[in-house]
Amino acid sequence: MPSCKDITEHSSDYLDRNLPWWKRMGYWLHLAMCVHCRRYVDQLKLTIDTIGKSPDATTPNVSPEEIQAIVEKMKRSTKNKDG
Amino acid sequence: MANPTLPSDDELIPRLLANDETSYAQIVAAYHGLMVHLARAIVGEAIADEVAQEAWVAVLRALPKFERRSSLKTWILRIVSNTAKSRLRHESRTVSLDESLEENPIIDPARLKPNAHWASPPAMWHADTPDALLASTELRRCISDALATLPPLQRAAVTLRDMQGLSMEAICKILEVSESNGRVLLHRARSRIQMAIEEHEGQ
Ligand SMILES: [Zn+2]
Repeated sequence: MPSCKDITEHSSDYLDRNLPWWKRMGYWLHLAMCVHCRRYVDQLKLTIDTIGKSPDATTPNVSPEEIQAIVEKMKRSTKNKDG
Repeated sequence: MANPTLPSDDELIPRLLANDETSYAQIVAAYHGLMVHLARAIVGEAIADEVAQEAWVAVLRALPKFERRSSLKTWILRIVSNTAKSRLRHESRTVSLDESLEENPIIDPARLKPNAHWASPPAMWHADTPDALLASTELRRCISDALATLPPLQRAAVTLRDMQGLSMEAICKILEVSESNGRVLLHRARSRIQMAIEEHEGQ
C-alpha cells in the first residue's frame, strides 16, 4: 500500500490514468481509507482545471498585420536561400 | 484559436515547399499564437514573439528534411522549443531537468510524519470550482506569479498540457524529454500551482 507521500508524488499519473493496474489498485485502496489524500487529489484535479481556465491559459492573439509581417519575413528568407 | 480551415499536413507540406504564400499565411494564422505561448513559457514574455518568428525561418529551412515522424504541428513546436532553449543557453541560463525529488520534494517534508503519512494534511479550500477560485483577483495573481517562477521546462509542460490540451506523447517530442521526465515536469508544475492556491485558500 502506498504512503501519503507516494500518493502526492504520483497523483498526476493517477488522474491522467497512467498507472499500471496494480499501482492503481493500491492507490485506490489508500484513497478509500485516507481522507487527507482524497482531499489532496481532489485539490490537484481542481488545480489542473483552474490552470486551464486561468488568464495565463489564453493563446496569445495574432493580428492579420502580424501574420502578414511574418509571411513577408518567410518569403525573404527563402529568397535569400535561393539567391 | 486552432484554425479549422487549415489543410491536412499532406496537402500543406508540398505547398509550403513550393513557397506558396497563401499556405504560409494559413499556417502562421493557425500556429503562431500557440508558438508564442510556448516560447513565452520557456524564455518569458519579452522575447517570446521574436523567438517564434525566428522559429518560422528555421521551419522553412528544415522543411525539406522533415521526415514526418510526427505531425507538422508537433514538429514546428519542437523547433520553437529548441530555438527558445538555445536562446536561454546564450543568456547562460540553465534548462535543466534534474531537480531531484530529494532536493525538491513534491510535499514539504515538514508536513509528513516519519512514516510518510500526513502530519499537516491539506486544509479545505474556500472555493471548490475553477470559476469560484478565479473570481479572486488576488488568487489569479498568485497563480500567475507561481507560473512565472516555475523552471522553464515545467512551465512549458503545463502550458502545453493543461492550457493547450496537447497529448503527453506530443509534449515529450516537443520538449525532447523522455516520457517519464515529461510526466515529472508536469506533476511538479501542477503541484507548485496547487501549493500556491493552498497558501491562499487553505486557511
Ligand atoms: Zn494518505
